[in-house]
Amino acid sequence: MAKILDNLLPSTAQRAVKLRQSYDWIKTELSELDAVYEAKKQKALDSFIVKANKKLAPLAYVACDKAEYADSIMEKKLQEYDVNKYLSYRAANHKAAKAIFKAINAGEDWSGALDVMKGEVEKIRSDRAAFVGKLRLKREALIAKGGASDPTEYNAMRTKLEAERDDLSKALDEKYEAVIAKKRAALEAKLEKISGQIEDNKARSAKIGNLPDDVLLSVKGLKMYFGGLKAVDDLTFDVKKGEIFGLIGPNGAGKTTVFNCITRFYDATGGEMYFENKYGEVVDLRNYKVHDIILQGISRTFQNIELVKEVSVMENLLVAGTRAYRSGLVVHALGLPLLKKEEKLMRQKAMRVLKFMGLESYANWLAFGLPYGILKKVEIARALMADARLIIMDEPAAGLNDSETAELTETIRRIRDEFGVTILLVEHDMGLVMNVCDTVCAISFGQMLAIGTTEEIQKNKAVQEAYLGVEEDE
Amino acid sequence: MNKFLSDKYAIPRNNPTKSDKLTNGLLALFKSPVAQILLFTVIMGVIGQLSMEKILPYSWTSAFATTFSYAIAAVGFCLLMGYSGLASLGTGGFIGIGTYSVYYIMAESGLPFLLAVLVAILVAVVIGAIVGFISLRIEGIYLVILTLGLSEILRNLYMVLEDKISFTKSPVILGITITRQLALYVVLVFLAVVMIITSNIINSPTGRAMLAMKNSTAAAQAMGISLMKYRLLAFIICTVYASISGTLLMLVVRNAMASQGTGFYALITSLNILAAVIIGGYKSIWGAVFGSFIMYGLQTVVLNNIKFLAENPVIITFVSGILVIIVVMFYPGGLAQLVLELRVKAKGLRTKMREAKYGKDLG
Repeated sequence: MAKILDNLLPSTAQRAVKLRQSYDWIKTELSELDAVYEAKKQKALDSFIVKANKKLAPLAYVACDKAEYADSIMEKKLQEYDVNKYLSYRAANHKAAKAIFKAINAGEDWSGALDVMKGEVEKIRSDRAAFVGKLRLKREALIAKGGASDPTEYNAMRTKLEAERDDLSKALDEKYEAVIAKKRAALEAKLEKISGQIEDNKARSAKIGNLPDDVLLSVKGLKMYFGGLKAVDDLTFDVKKGEIFGLIGPNGAGKTTVFNCITRFYDATGGEMYFENKYGEVVDLRNYKVHDIILQGISRTFQNIELVKEVSVMENLLVAGTRAYRSGLVVHALGLPLLKKEEKLMRQKAMRVLKFMGLESYANWLAFGLPYGILKKVEIARALMADARLIIMDEPAAGLNDSETAELTETIRRIRDEFGVTILLVEHDMGLVMNVCDTVCAISFGQMLAIGTTEEIQKNKAVQEAYLGVEEDE
Repeated sequence: MNKFLSDKYAIPRNNPTKSDKLTNGLLALFKSPVAQILLFTVIMGVIGQLSMEKILPYSWTSAFATTFSYAIAAVGFCLLMGYSGLASLGTGGFIGIGTYSVYYIMAESGLPFLLAVLVAILVAVVIGAIVGFISLRIEGIYLVILTLGLSEILRNLYMVLEDKISFTKSPVILGITITRQLALYVVLVFLAVVMIITSNIINSPTGRAMLAMKNSTAAAQAMGISLMKYRLLAFIICTVYASISGTLLMLVVRNAMASQGTGFYALITSLNILAAVIIGGYKSIWGAVFGSFIMYGLQTVVLNNIKFLAENPVIITFVSGILVIIVVMFYPGGLAQLVLELRVKAKGLRTKMREAKYGKDLG
């Protein structure tokens, strides 16, 4: 009962969660600030150009070479005529062809029908020729009416407008720079305050433990038993900050079980898991529920694609941002402006992630029916949306072809470098693992075989035996 | 866009005229779900008024009022089944929560109707939370059986409390006495509010979280979606809507008997709402409203005009049963899917007609 009450009433822990949520939100706002004002500036400039073009249009007529002007207009009209007449041309053809087939089928002479068809086509041709003749006359008239070209006024106006545009651009830049600076300062002050509160909160909460400076995740003596089956037995390893850590092993070695223990899908039978979260605290992962793990800065992808098939790619990314929204159910139910503001920012962020993954053209596609390779990428993009510190990838190369795997290798490196995250991956594709990983840990039947750099693992006797079988002496 | 006119000549522009702007604006407005729902409600109100003045058949008023009362429960069920992936056969019992709460509150304390509805909603929240809590441990067909059992327990409770209840006095809302005919407008206002709230929720992060939960609980949890929160929420919303539906039904029908096998609280209501949502399309609130029309309004509005059916009302049950089978077999997405497919087909038909006239487009 106490547990339920703890869930329903706002406790200190929940206040801490809210605090961190605001912290994350302000960080997102800060990262999207420039983009927001860039869009605003672009909009202002665009509307200026539309107005300027309206002013310029009459002058441009005076300025232009009348023959060229008339040519362009006539060309356009002829095009329109052709488009309009195309259908009647097709209809005539179709009708004649039908008549000819009918005559052939009936065993009659079909030269008459052919003549009819020829006649119709001829008529259409002559119509067009007549139209072209008319257009020529009109063209002459236009040229005669237009008079000589005089570009001075147009050029003067244009130079003026261009100068105005540049001024406007500069003015907007200055204005927005000031606004951005002010907003940034305000947001940073807020951030400072909140991080102060978080520090305060941290100081009050019991100290859990210390990790060495360069370690992000430390797993000590992890045990996971399913009844009598020891899926993971006494596994210990450290994942360092900023590295790509590979977990390998034959089928059934317990790799995915390790993942599920870290992300709290399974409640580990024994052992300890410490993690330095987004806010620099060392936390014991066993204290968190499966849906709260993402708030600590761990996001994951799945071996089999687990996307929402009935919504668009963009919305799939937004699902990963569910915890980032600060608005509650009432705001959602009433569709208040606060939600729209938040949606806009989140969509902007999602678009940035999609661009990074090269998926921006798929943003509004339904996830249903997209190719497997694309969906795998969307999974990774979704994991990136959560501002994670550690991304756990469960067989990212499964089902991909060679070129896609090569691309994936590149992507994983880029994610590590540009987002500054640490990556922990399970993979069967040895080429990928040996290519991309800094450290590899090999396990078999839930127990550690070896840990080290890729070369060390390749040379290791125990690993070779686990993969290839024991060599028997004869 | 960010370019000046070309140096050579002015390009004649097709600037949109004022009337174009107006039509575009109106079109954009009617693409928003809120405007569509309001328009629908107004049209239904006008039909109701015409029927009250006997320009249209007089029986339509109560038929529409009953239909839309049930539609409110169906919309909630649509959110529960289509978006959260949870099944329930407890709608009948939940409808009774509203009816009995309002009945007792108004009879005992003499509170105004709207306040009584508010209390009924609060009671529904508590019961919805309990069922939602149970749904954390039990899924699929077991949850269906459990909610069915709960619904029967509630029904038996109603029978013990007071088997037959009736509103003898018309309630007063904002100084207007609501007669059985005027109840249609109250129902329509509630329907509009419920539909707008639901469509907002569906298009918000909450709706997305529910969909994610339905598709894959594992992925949803990894993305920070708490199953407990959203399952509770889905059941609470569903129960609250059913409860509102129950109070409105009382406003329309005025008396109910719990022991009656065809009453509001019986299994038949739960099944009918389920059928309505399946026929309409389990992911569309418009489908839910239309489905409830088929289940509850079609008989009075259309089928009773056919003499054979009016004399043998049993056949109508067969018709709805067959309809459910057909929909499940051929259109698992319900009538909403049918409408979508018809749109695609209409497009194909237009191309075909063009080809018959002009021949195939060979490029």
